[in-house]
Amino acid sequence: MAAPGRHIGHSVQRNGRFLLYNLEQLLGHRGFGWTSALRQQAAEANKESTESVVIPRKKTWSREAVLEALASTVSRDPTAYPYQFQDDPYLSPRTSTEFKLFSLSQESGRSAAKYIVNNNPKLFTKDFAEPHIPCLMPETVSLRLEEVSEEALKERITLRKVTAAVDMYDQLLQAGTTVSMETTHSLLDLICLYSDRDPVQDGEPQTDDAEFGEELKKRKAWVRRASDFLKFTWKENNNAERIFNLLPERDTRCYSALIRGMVKHGAYAKAFSMYTDMLNNRLTADVHIFNALISAAPDVQDKFNERWDLVAELLNQMNQQKVRPDLLTFNSVLKALRRCGFLAKTQALHTLNEMKALGIAPSLASYDHILAVFYKSASSAQNNTLLQEVIAELEGRIFTCQDPDDVLFFSSAMRICLDSKDLELGYKIQSLVDVGENWRLLGDSFQQSIYYGRFFNLLCMMEHIDVVLKWYKQIIPSLYYPNPQGMRDLLQALDTDSRLDLLPSIWKDIKTLRHDNKPDLVEELLSLMAREKHSAEVQESFAACALDVKSVFDLRPSIEWSAASLSHITTLLLRANKTQQAWEMLQLFKSRNRVPSEGLLNNFLSVCHSDGDSQKAVQLVQLSAAFCLPTTWRLAKRALAEFELTEEQRAILSELETAGEPSD
Amino acid sequence: MYRIIFRTLLAPRSSSVNVYDSCVLAAKCDKTVFRVTNKCGVKTFSTSSSSLCEKKNNQDQKTQAVKEGDQAEVVELKEEPAVLKAEDGDATEQQTDVKTEQVASKQPAKTKNDAAKSGKESLLNLLGAMKVEVTNKRKLKNLKAKQRYESVTQYKPKAAPMKSTISMYQKATGDDSSQSETLDPDLVAAASSAASTLPNRSQAESELLRQLRRHEAIAEAQKKGDINNLGVIIAEMKVGKNPNRQNAWPADQIRFDDDGRGYTHYRGITSELSGVRKRRNLLLGKRLNIFTSAADEDGIEPAAAKPTLWDMDFANQLSLSTNQMPRNGFEEMIQWTKEEKLWQYPVNNEAGLEEEAKVPFHEHIFLEKNLEEGFPREGPVRHFMELVVTGLSRNPYLTVQQKKEHISWFRDYFHQKEEVLKEADVYLE
Repeated sequence: MAAPGRHIGHSVQRNGRFLLYNLEQLLGHRGFGWTSALRQQAAEANKESTESVVIPRKKTWSREAVLEALASTVSRDPTAYPYQFQDDPYLSPRTSTEFKLFSLSQESGRSAAKYIVNNNPKLFTKDFAEPHIPCLMPETVSLRLEEVSEEALKERITLRKVTAAVDMYDQLLQAGTTVSMETTHSLLDLICLYSDRDPVQDGEPQTDDAEFGEELKKRKAWVRRASDFLKFTWKENNNAERIFNLLPERDTRCYSALIRGMVKHGAYAKAFSMYTDMLNNRLTADVHIFNALISAAPDVQDKFNERWDLVAELLNQMNQQKVRPDLLTFNSVLKALRRCGFLAKTQALHTLNEMKALGIAPSLASYDHILAVFYKSASSAQNNTLLQEVIAELEGRIFTCQDPDDVLFFSSAMRICLDSKDLELGYKIQSLVDVGENWRLLGDSFQQSIYYGRFFNLLCMMEHIDVVLKWYKQIIPSLYYPNPQGMRDLLQALDTDSRLDLLPSIWKDIKTLRHDNKPDLVEELLSLMAREKHSAEVQESFAACALDVKSVFDLRPSIEWSAASLSHITTLLLRANKTQQAWEMLQLFKSRNRVPSEGLLNNFLSVCHSDGDSQKAVQLVQLSAAFCLPTTWRLAKRALAEFELTEEQRAILSELETAGEPSD
Repeated sequence: MYRIIFRTLLAPRSSSVNVYDSCVLAAKCDKTVFRVTNKCGVKTFSTSSSSLCEKKNNQDQKTQAVKEGDQAEVVELKEEPAVLKAEDGDATEQQTDVKTEQVASKQPAKTKNDAAKSGKESLLNLLGAMKVEVTNKRKLKNLKAKQRYESVTQYKPKAAPMKSTISMYQKATGDDSSQSETLDPDLVAAASSAASTLPNRSQAESELLRQLRRHEAIAEAQKKGDINNLGVIIAEMKVGKNPNRQNAWPADQIRFDDDGRGYTHYRGITSELSGVRKRRNLLLGKRLNIFTSAADEDGIEPAAAKPTLWDMDFANQLSLSTNQMPRNGFEEMIQWTKEEKLWQYPVNNEAGLEEEAKVPFHEHIFLEKNLEEGFPREGPVRHFMELVVTGLSRNPYLTVQQKKEHISWFRDYFHQKEEVLKEADVYLE
């Protein structure tokens, strides 16, 4: 529309001179009939051209716009530690345990400071900031209003003091004052949300946290999450129900609060009876009631089809009561379907299509539930067309968290890729994570490490070693601290593509990640190094690495090292002609109560032979005798045959030979 | 080669893999298995099935709908013609005839083929074949419909080879005694009619006839107990390429699992493509049909209502579940900006002075109008006040209200000191 006008304007401008000349001429000859018409045309063209371009007088940017633009220019530095640890190099986490410890202590320090400020507002009265910064000033956490009034009740509700609020409400009732409906609603909300118990305030010292045992700390993320729901169960006839029953009239909001509270705190059957009660009172439910009831449906029915029937019945009632479903409705339907067995597969797809037909964009949690329905166990993940379709649908989109379950999507999708060994799909998921701020939806550090662990495992299994190492450098350790199993996968990948020469650098990483105290991992590394002979320089680096491993041995005397790893080290040292160190290793066998193998001693003897060190050979045979090896006589025999020996040495050896030789 | 063929024939129990192998072989080595198998006495089997296959392929090329059908079905058709018949209970008579014929003749064919093989073993094989039949049942149901369609459209040409194969079989199995070098005229007729279904008719016919002759020779040899000859003959055989067989892509073949969990598709380029095709109907299909899709009533959104405690709790849950850690300094500054700890960008040195911005500047500067009331027009007080006003107009740190208050303080002051001023001959009014 605007374009042609602009075009005309443009041409008018270009031909301006000519036009002007014309106009002048025409002005001189007003007598001509077409003058005015032409001028009108020109004027019109000008008007159109000015209309088409609307230059805003002022563009208002959001206050973060500049910073967002700047932040988008900074890409992730794979060599750096996460930003939150950059203040203090001493606190650079090298293992996942350290990461957890440091980030938790950082957070707890913040909360402690906040607690002090909030509880001692008298000490923090000076307001330096100009303009005033509210969040730096102490918040009111204690009650100010002492008299019995609705205002005091409201204050108690905003401060989330459940028991105090209930007391105040009772006092108000006794005094005969009526409390407004709005305040009653929020009071019921408060009681139901916290199941009639005072919530643990932010920043308050949490006594029960200290009681967590050491072994529980590892699973803390899960324990906490589960405990939030399970710690407080709905008590029979608690204050919420009592206040509810005292109400002269109850509306949907009241029922909504009660039902949501009951579902949240595990009183599922009670929630459903409450719902029927509400229907009997000729009230219509709101969307929150339905969401809560649908998520509770699998818990009140035992059979798969009964569960689904209940969910479908609830949806039908929603439609009858003209309640528009929202994203959470369908997400709870899908979540309920996860527990509906054989019905789930068809109904889940139908539900998804219903969502789309209603114009509700599914969130990642919806897809997560669907994937869970279709890929129940690891064995069923062979045919992953559904995941392909889902990823194709999601490709390149930016997500915001709309459901707390959204964060489970990426790790479960990656699990399916891992189960079906589909590398291509794994890359697609990874690129989806990279889009926009989707990485935030990987969830907390625990979820994130699960995701990257699976991705890395998949890479090690399927990808060429060069690419694996590229990813290794990129995600470790800035995003992911691999566990011993992950390192073992990497070792196997190195072995498959025969890039064993990289082993010393991997050992350094193992040491940094503090996995050097896992004997089986170290043993695997050593056995890979010792398995076959390599070129001289590789052997040299292997020997240096082996010595390094040995120094770790010495540092941690409590760890039991197997005979195999000891002999691997010795072999590596022998191959690099470090005879003296190898000899020390043999002494170590003795102090660790391990017995060297015959092959190792034979190797050692050959090295002695090539060195021409007969003294060492005799000592070796003596050492073997000290270990009471049954093959000592054979070693002695070999030494006697191959070495140039003095009489004395010969005597020792022949004695050992005859002593050990089987008598038969 | 010899061994593979034998396996194909004798172990239909695990026929899935083996038949698949042989098909690949057929496609790869430019050889048809059929002729080879003819040699071993299962002639009717393969010829009938091959003719079926051929026809099917023709059909495929003709109609788009049939083309959509899996090639795997064609392969099955070939590997288990008997099953096809078993499913086709209500199909044409000829077909059932063929079925009984074939099932009945299976046993002698096998025993004859492999003298070393015990009867019990072949019975096991038969049972294995039956098992495959059962597992194929479902797959073949839709095949049946297609089959019927075919039998309606191409009834005549199909019936002919069917008959011919029956007669052929009768000749082959029952007529061992007739050892004439010349073929039975009925057999020749049957062969030609069978060949008529093939694209290049004359060549196929001659091939079939040659095959039959060879078979006669073998039958004779076998009767003499010269079973070793068989291998020689098979080795000497030349196997021609059948272009139509290429349509059976190995990528879509069905692989059977021993644990009976069903079948899985091979993944390859073709299955990738079919995945693209399927994609459209897996995530876009039927819906629950509970809600009306129309957004007709926008619904009286209670958005105006202030967020309840539940909403706040939900928002808190969301923020806890996602990773909110800043990745670089700028992101941390964004966080601070949101918490209002940081000056906002673009930098504005009047931040926090929003109230003051509403006051126009001239109210700050031109303060003389405040002197009109309560102050003398001239004299030292007026002079003093003019100086005060000038000073105030240059002071950026006071609000207009404060300036006015300042002036009114002087007004009150001078009024209080009115007596003193009068004594000095200064009048306020």
